Amino acid sequence: MASTWKKSAGWLGTLVLAVTMVACGGTPPPEPAPEPEPEPQVEEQAVDEAAERARLEEEARRRREDEEQRRREAERNRVLSIIAERVHFDFDKSDIRPDAEEVLQRKVVVLREYAGVSFRIEGHCDERGSNEYNLALGQRRAEAVRRYLVSYGLDASRFTTISYGEERPAMRASNEDAWAQNRRAEFNVTRYGQLGN
Amino acid sequence: MASTVVLILFDSPNMSPTNGQMHYGARNPLTAIAMPAIVLAFLGPATAAAQVPVRDSIPTDVRVGILYQPSFRPGIVMPLVPAPQGLREVADSARRIILRDLDYSDRLQVMPVGEDVPIEGPINYGLWDELEAVWLLVGAVEGTPDQPVLRLSLHDVVFRLLQEVRAFELPPLAHPGFRHALHTAADAVVRWATSSAGIATTRIAYVAEGPGGSEIYVVDSDGFGARRLSSDSSIALSPAWSPTGDRIAFMSYKNGDPAIYEIDADGGRSVLSVDLPGMDLTPTYTPDGTRLGFAATIDGRTEVYTYDLVRNCCPERATFARYANSLSPTFAPDGRRFAFNSDRLGQLHVFVQGMNNGSAELITPYIYDRSVHNAGPDWSPTGDRIAFHGWVGGEPQIFTVAPDGRGLRQLTQRGRNEDPSWAPDGRHIIFASTRDGATGLWVLDVVSGRIRRLVSAAGARLPDWSGRLDSASQLTSGAAVGSESNNR
Repeated sequence: MASTWKKSAGWLGTLVLAVTMVACGGTPPPEPAPEPEPEPQVEEQAVDEAAERARLEEEARRRREDEEQRRREAERNRVLSIIAERVHFDFDKSDIRPDAEEVLQRKVVVLREYAGVSFRIEGHCDERGSNEYNLALGQRRAEAVRRYLVSYGLDASRFTTISYGEERPAMRASNEDAWAQNRRAEFNVTRYGQLGN
Repeated sequence: MASTVVLILFDSPNMSPTNGQMHYGARNPLTAIAMPAIVLAFLGPATAAAQVPVRDSIPTDVRVGILYQPSFRPGIVMPLVPAPQGLREVADSARRIILRDLDYSDRLQVMPVGEDVPIEGPINYGLWDELEAVWLLVGAVEGTPDQPVLRLSLHDVVFRLLQEVRAFELPPLAHPGFRHALHTAADAVVRWATSSAGIATTRIAYVAEGPGGSEIYVVDSDGFGARRLSSDSSIALSPAWSPTGDRIAFMSYKNGDPAIYEIDADGGRSVLSVDLPGMDLTPTYTPDGTRLGFAATIDGRTEVYTYDLVRNCCPERATFARYANSLSPTFAPDGRRFAFNSDRLGQLHVFVQGMNNGSAELITPYIYDRSVHNAGPDWSPTGDRIAFHGWVGGEPQIFTVAPDGRGLRQLTQRGRNEDPSWAPDGRHIIFASTRDGATGLWVLDVVSGRIRRLVSAAGARLPDWSGRLDSASQLTSGAAVGSESNNR
């Protein structure tokens, strides 16, 4: 009893194998196999036509997909670059300047559209204040940005804040230009939502 | 002792005196020179400080200067004593280390002495008196290279008597505790001669750039044995010694959310100490070591908290200022008050507050100027002064002030000078400075004005001076053999 079951199982196994081999044979180019294998060659003709159709369909689909992908990528880049855009601050201040407000307004628009996107707001300072005070100042800057975004009805849980004080300058120099560059908030996406990572 | 310090003022060379706000009345160099003489002639040192309108301002267009009254430093000689074969190297090292420590104490004047001066036989007090030495230190090394013994005898040359004698058992030359044992001996000599303890058995923790970010480092008081303690490859800041000197608290970003960690003073892994929601920063121990003072962000601002280290719980808020930041606490030696940094007046200032009393008192001068920035307070272990850095013409300089806001003194002039920390003797201050072009840590003797560089390393900053590390456990916790490089 057990041995016959085993035998039939063996038959079934080979059958399944053959079927899958045929099915898989559709995708590769229908060139005659270098080694003559009589049995599969009989079905090659039928497979050829089906494969051709499938190939064309696949190509069209892939083209559409590529286009969609490109569009999505462009949109994704647009959104990410808007999110990544830094805002800058005046010396020893955490007020949102008019130029920073413009930048943040652009963020509000895309954040409303992409509700699944979350990010971390990083506050930074120039090197002039004390190392320790700058940690507090950077935090205040990050919080000011967060409050601004939340005031436009965006969910507060989408934003986390961290301060790096003067520890991560964007520009390593000791002049007005570098200081202005370094007094900033940066944005680091933590959840991409419908943007896909 | 004539350790008087007098404030003098003189015009900044690049400033017009006409538009200057002159708070101190000294308009030209002549009066500036004449002033201390007058003050010295008619007023005692205590009233001299009171004459200055101290709470007025840190003028931005006037340089506040300091005149260090060269106080009398008794001369000390330590002649070369012939050592037995096999102990010569030990004797040489011992003498070098002790002489440097005596010099760095700034309480004694180390006098050079020729190698040919005979030391055998009875002490020739007349000879040393002629050299104008007040103290004669004779150090004889005995025993074996494995167990050397240093016998120090201190002679009072003026009164021609033996003041003290004591034998110090030393570890072998290559042992990590060798230098520490000699620092202990040097501190004993300073105490015998001046009845004030030295600072040789202390270390300084600081921040410098490591291979993967800023890390915590430690160096001996004489600049030797600099070594990295943390290896978090992250951002480590604000080291603070525990009162017993066995641990250092610091702030680190190593787990993303900035929190307070503690690390053994002889290295190893740092362990999480305090992690409230948000950022935790600027730790400091209470003088009894039972609690940690620190700052933490709450609702986007920063407030000072304490944390119970014994029960490992119970953060308690100590400052209450809506819409402002309070940070960098530092405790008075009795632990009843603390100074801290706050921008509650729209400028950064130092305040003092009682531990059980919510009212904070401003101790740094308020002036209507955007460039006011007083930060990094450190309460002296002797209790009488608080050091901090304040901006003068946009550059931070080291100041000290009494805890009631009187007697403001500026101690530095050149380069950027930041984040002062007191030595346990209450007269030496270490701070970060760019005075020689690069960043480094410098030690200033507030009494004599002597200044020396201790560490020059990339990004060396935020120094914290330990208490005296005399306990036996500290003996073995020195630098690993071979890593003892002079860092200067």
